[in-house]
Amino acid sequence: MLESIVLSGVAIGCIYALIGITYNVMFSASRVFSFTAGALGMLGGVLGSLFIAQVGMPLIAGFILALFGGVVLGIVTEIVAVRPVLKSLDQHLYVLSTLALALMVQQFTAIEWGTDARPFPRLLDFARGGFDQQFWLPILACAVVIVGLELLYRHTLIGHAFMAIAEDTYAARALGLPERRLRMTSYALAGAIGALAGFAGGEMLLAFFGNAPLLTFYGFVPVALGGVGNNRGAVVAGLLLGLFQQAANFLVGGIFASVAVFAVFIIVLLVRPEGLAGAALQRRV
Amino acid sequence: MSLTRRQALASAGAVIAASGLPKPAIAANESIRVGYLPALTGPSSATGIGINRGIQLAVKEINEAGGINGRQIELITRDTQSDPTKAVNGAAELAHGEKVSVVFGPVNSGESLAVVPMLARTNTPQIHPCWVDSLTDPQKYPMCFRNAPTNRQIGGAANRYVVDVLKAKKVAVISDTTGYGTASVNAYVPMLKAKGAEVVYQSNVDAANPDLKPELLRMQSAAAEAIMPWSVNAGFLSRIINTRGDMGWDVPIVGQTTLGSGQTKALLEKPEYWAKVYPNNFRTVCYAAGGKLQARTVAFLDRLKRANIDMGDTLLWWIALGYDSPRMLTEAMKAVGTEPTQIVGYLNKLKGFPGVYGDISFTPEQHNGYPDDEVVMVEANSLRDGAFNLAPGYNA
Repeated sequence: MLESIVLSGVAIGCIYALIGITYNVMFSASRVFSFTAGALGMLGGVLGSLFIAQVGMPLIAGFILALFGGVVLGIVTEIVAVRPVLKSLDQHLYVLSTLALALMVQQFTAIEWGTDARPFPRLLDFARGGFDQQFWLPILACAVVIVGLELLYRHTLIGHAFMAIAEDTYAARALGLPERRLRMTSYALAGAIGALAGFAGGEMLLAFFGNAPLLTFYGFVPVALGGVGNNRGAVVAGLLLGLFQQAANFLVGGIFASVAVFAVFIIVLLVRPEGLAGAALQRRV
Repeated sequence: MSLTRRQALASAGAVIAASGLPKPAIAANESIRVGYLPALTGPSSATGIGINRGIQLAVKEINEAGGINGRQIELITRDTQSDPTKAVNGAAELAHGEKVSVVFGPVNSGESLAVVPMLARTNTPQIHPCWVDSLTDPQKYPMCFRNAPTNRQIGGAANRYVVDVLKAKKVAVISDTTGYGTASVNAYVPMLKAKGAEVVYQSNVDAANPDLKPELLRMQSAAAEAIMPWSVNAGFLSRIINTRGDMGWDVPIVGQTTLGSGQTKALLEKPEYWAKVYPNNFRTVCYAAGGKLQARTVAFLDRLKRANIDMGDTLLWWIALGYDSPRMLTEAMKAVGTEPTQIVGYLNKLKGFPGVYGDISFTPEQHNGYPDDEVVMVEANSLRDGAFNLAPGYNA
């Protein structure tokens, strides 16, 4: 039982963490919580299944095209749902605009792809069982993204530019940084990460339009618990969420597992509103 | 004597009335308009597409044979697009605008829940094949009839198979968290207990939950001798089947028709995991021992082959249900005409209409026409030509 909890818990936790990072990357560039993060994850699974299982493309080509689909949706999100509401961030109109876009993507997928879950192809020709690829692929994807983002943000010029607009948009613009282009690049990057989450977790989650709301909600929990904009916090919180959810599945089961997850989520936020790894905001006086 | 204009008109009217001029011949020859509300597109269209093949064949055959007392049937079709709102709009148009004599459909319960009360207010006779129990009620909807089983009959057949045929004493009942899933569990568990079974596990689980192993381990540790899943979600059902297979547990899985669908099959990790999975189906369109079908079903299959009806992507019972429906209406209208009250009066006394899908009977108090014992369980992995083998035990 412990093996099952750890294997499934860590794997699903990594998928939640990746969706949490997707939220964070979009948030850092725009101060907007884009609720298309779950739709990006769903799309990664559906496009992977479409290109590899249905169209019959080679794995690499299908993988790249699935990520490209995420990149396109990321850019569309920035143009359609984020840019028009940036001037009135304090009114939180982005909640409506990004949620509306996410619902449109979900419904379009339901109509074109179907409402039944479809199989996601087995990516590597290994025998099933034990520490199966459906478990280690999301873990590998999560590790690659964390290392990649660390390298990008800390060791490249464009990464420093991302950090700059995340820190202070006005100051970054005053220094001559192309804020709009950087924001769009961030959304494209977030799109690829979201699609990667769905692709790597495809075998667990299947190619199913209904994964969008699931990932939107469970992917938001690591952001809230880990601290907004904190990728390391999102990973830790995502893993804890996955393990706790799986343990709850074993211990209480059924719909009570979801109830237990959200009960703990609410209690943690009541005790630490800034999240487990976040810092309390200092109010300027 | 002078004749006023008024007197002249009155006289002319009296002469015409007395002479008994025949009505225009066109009334006797004009087509009989039958409203039809299938879901031919959208997410729930698989059933509608199958049923439509049967309907179209039946109407073609009826019209080629001279129609109903010389009048052709004209199907007035409104595709509901699997959307209850569009179904209601289509039904209103059929009843008010097209003035149809009778309506067949919708073919999905979600749409019928919206349409049945609306058509009842227009006094339009309606026949539908939807399973939700509340969709017939001779008091509330006196002109609405069902020529298919109810959910209660579906659950009852599965319960009979588990308790009477498999002799399972301890049963696990699981569903997703949809309205259908939870309502089914709530209805079927008391029925199981009434039959003497012990329900050792009962739960509603989110259909998107990627790992159902904890649930199956709980069932196993409770010593369940059969699993009964109630869901139309192929992903959820395939996860139950796959997890059972991965655990090496050979407990039978007995439940909803979707267990035997192509979508469920596509999601199985190994084809052999489909063994000992028994979904609902209907005796008249199933292979008995030796692969034999009933004589009327064999004749129907010949007819389908002659008409080049594609069987590869649908189920025989859907086509049979579609084929029977206009034939049943034709029998009624041949006997009593097209007046709504006359059609309803005829259907209220219908006894043993010999359909390919099943023998249908109604009474004024019972508008659910499908017989209990025709609902059976089949082997999920035995599908060929749209039909399944009866599950083991029925032929004993």
